[in-house]
Amino acid sequence: MLIESLAMGFELFLTPTTIGLTLIGVLIGLLVGALPGLGPLMGIILLLPVAISMPPVAAMGFLIAIFVGGSCGGSISAILLRIPGTPLAAATLFDGYPMAQNGRASDAIGIAISASAIGGLIGGMVLIVGSPLLARFASGFAPPEYALLAITGLFAIAVISGGSLVKGLISGCFGLLLATIGTDEFSTGYRFTFGTHDMLNGFHIVAVVVGLFAISEMAYQIMGRDLLKTPNIKIARPGFGSILLTLRHWKNLVRSSGIGVFFGALPGAGGVISSFTSYAIAKAWAKPDEKYGEGAEGGVVATEAANNATVGGTLVPSLALGIPGDASSAMLLGALLILGFVPGPILFEQQPEMVGGIFLVYMSANVFLLIAGILVTPLFVYVLRIPKFYLIPVVLLLCSIGTFALQASVFDLMVMLGFGLVGILFRAANYPLSPIVIGIILGPILENNLRRALLISREGYWIFLDRPVSAVLVCMNVSLIIGAIWFALRKKKKNRLMAANDRP
Amino acid sequence: MLSVKTLQWMVYGFLAIIVAIVFQQVYTSMTEQGIASGGPYNNGAAYPRAIAITIGVLLVCQIFTDRFSTESEQEINSTIEASDLRRPVFLLVLFATYLGLLKTLGYHLTTTPVVLGIMLICGARNIPKLFLGALIMSFSFAYIFENILNVVLPGGIYSLNIPW
Repeated sequence: MLIESLAMGFELFLTPTTIGLTLIGVLIGLLVGALPGLGPLMGIILLLPVAISMPPVAAMGFLIAIFVGGSCGGSISAILLRIPGTPLAAATLFDGYPMAQNGRASDAIGIAISASAIGGLIGGMVLIVGSPLLARFASGFAPPEYALLAITGLFAIAVISGGSLVKGLISGCFGLLLATIGTDEFSTGYRFTFGTHDMLNGFHIVAVVVGLFAISEMAYQIMGRDLLKTPNIKIARPGFGSILLTLRHWKNLVRSSGIGVFFGALPGAGGVISSFTSYAIAKAWAKPDEKYGEGAEGGVVATEAANNATVGGTLVPSLALGIPGDASSAMLLGALLILGFVPGPILFEQQPEMVGGIFLVYMSANVFLLIAGILVTPLFVYVLRIPKFYLIPVVLLLCSIGTFALQASVFDLMVMLGFGLVGILFRAANYPLSPIVIGIILGPILENNLRRALLISREGYWIFLDRPVSAVLVCMNVSLIIGAIWFALRKKKKNRLMAANDRP
Repeated sequence: MLSVKTLQWMVYGFLAIIVAIVFQQVYTSMTEQGIASGGPYNNGAAYPRAIAITIGVLLVCQIFTDRFSTESEQEINSTIEASDLRRPVFLLVLFATYLGLLKTLGYHLTTTPVVLGIMLICGARNIPKLFLGALIMSFSFAYIFENILNVVLPGGIYSLNIPW
């Protein structure tokens, strides 16, 4: 089945459009990753309207390549500027920047790109082998299991995403509520449409997400005092020799990639946790003469391999179950849905060529990252010198034309602006935005399966405890919430004790 | 000056309005349509109502947590200066005006001045250079979207579209 799927996908993959867009996606990903304040999620959001007008595999290749490139691009600014382009590259600072200070900036960037690409390829192997197995296991799932899986995904992301569990859950529920706007699939009644035709299908997810993330980010960026500043950066020219430098740390590379895949596959964990964990483990296992924190190659290898392997890991539950691991994979699922494909076991059964195509674009994106990343890094260093006052109008222009292009609708532009204001407010009050996106994606899955489960049940909600897998998921969700509350209370107690100790 | 505490109350207010709208819609529009009662198939109101109740309960928990929380006092009392808000407010007003005028005046008449305006809000002052930058940005995007991606950009009342 796997070989067949790959063979069928190969036909879709082997077109100039798909290959070209995957390469362009990697370059755009590196660019948005390198520019502080953007990152892979923003890259995917900004270019989603462009992608959905393309053939499906090419579109997914473009977006996945942005995800792959963006997960690595942050290391360039972390190494050269001591500012991680994305939070994913925060741990790369520890050794990447000291390497640059010691005159090894080119080696540091070369190692970061090589480790990212190899980590991504290891993640890809797990994706290719693991996701069909998970999809086969999940093919026996019925509405109760899907409803509970959606709740698990939402809980996990709310718990991990932004400090406060309650705020995360509120954001997630807000997303679930947004997903109910429009025509009800079961009763065909109109919900929250206020008599307007524009809302019969609800808000377009791209307009909502562009507003929440991109508009609010630009409003925050413009508050900065560095808008006119041109960073003074020396040109770095990494060579292919850095691949050998990276492979010298092969144990670290494989271990960190494994950690990345593991955390990627857990909904909500993501690249930041995996890169910090793998750095800590690599440091703990390192020989004393490796000098972690002072420019150790192993430190860069560990963090970069982990955060790119996370991409492969996060695609496993996303493709096999339709449950996104983080906001970026939620956007990829959103794109897949817009393109007319339903992620989950059905995709593996009915459209194996699409699955094979996605596997191939993912793997090729990592190969392109290795080659193109090393070749074009000097160009990205020039891009880092562009002051922000040029960047902000570019992003806003891309937001508005991209959103307009979705349905040639001015209403979508107003939705984008409205959600931009909501995004600013939520950010200012420390409410995480990612659970909103996950809520919008998981909303229809949750509602439809919940109602279907109740329709087939003779004992109401007991159906969720009658079936073994759903009973396990109920237990998981309950323990997740209890665990989160316990951790929050423990943290509060610890902080209170610390505050008491600090008092004179 | 805007404190984080004020912003939090603004979020509470916003969410409370959302919850109120859900109930208002359930008891008016959805009841009139006959989708606010019955079993799981017919009752399209039960799920959004349940979510709204959950948001309400979580909101009460959050207000309670904030009220009795001592550790986040420093964070809650931190403020955003009014001078810091000036630029984002100008940006949002300009952007909203742009979106409002896009349909009437079209992409080509509105985009270059807006891009120039955003750069001026950012603090850049070299007008000829900025104007050239704004023109390049505006026409490059138009070329990419209209010519490569086949998107028809709003032409406005003058139907201004470039035949690339």
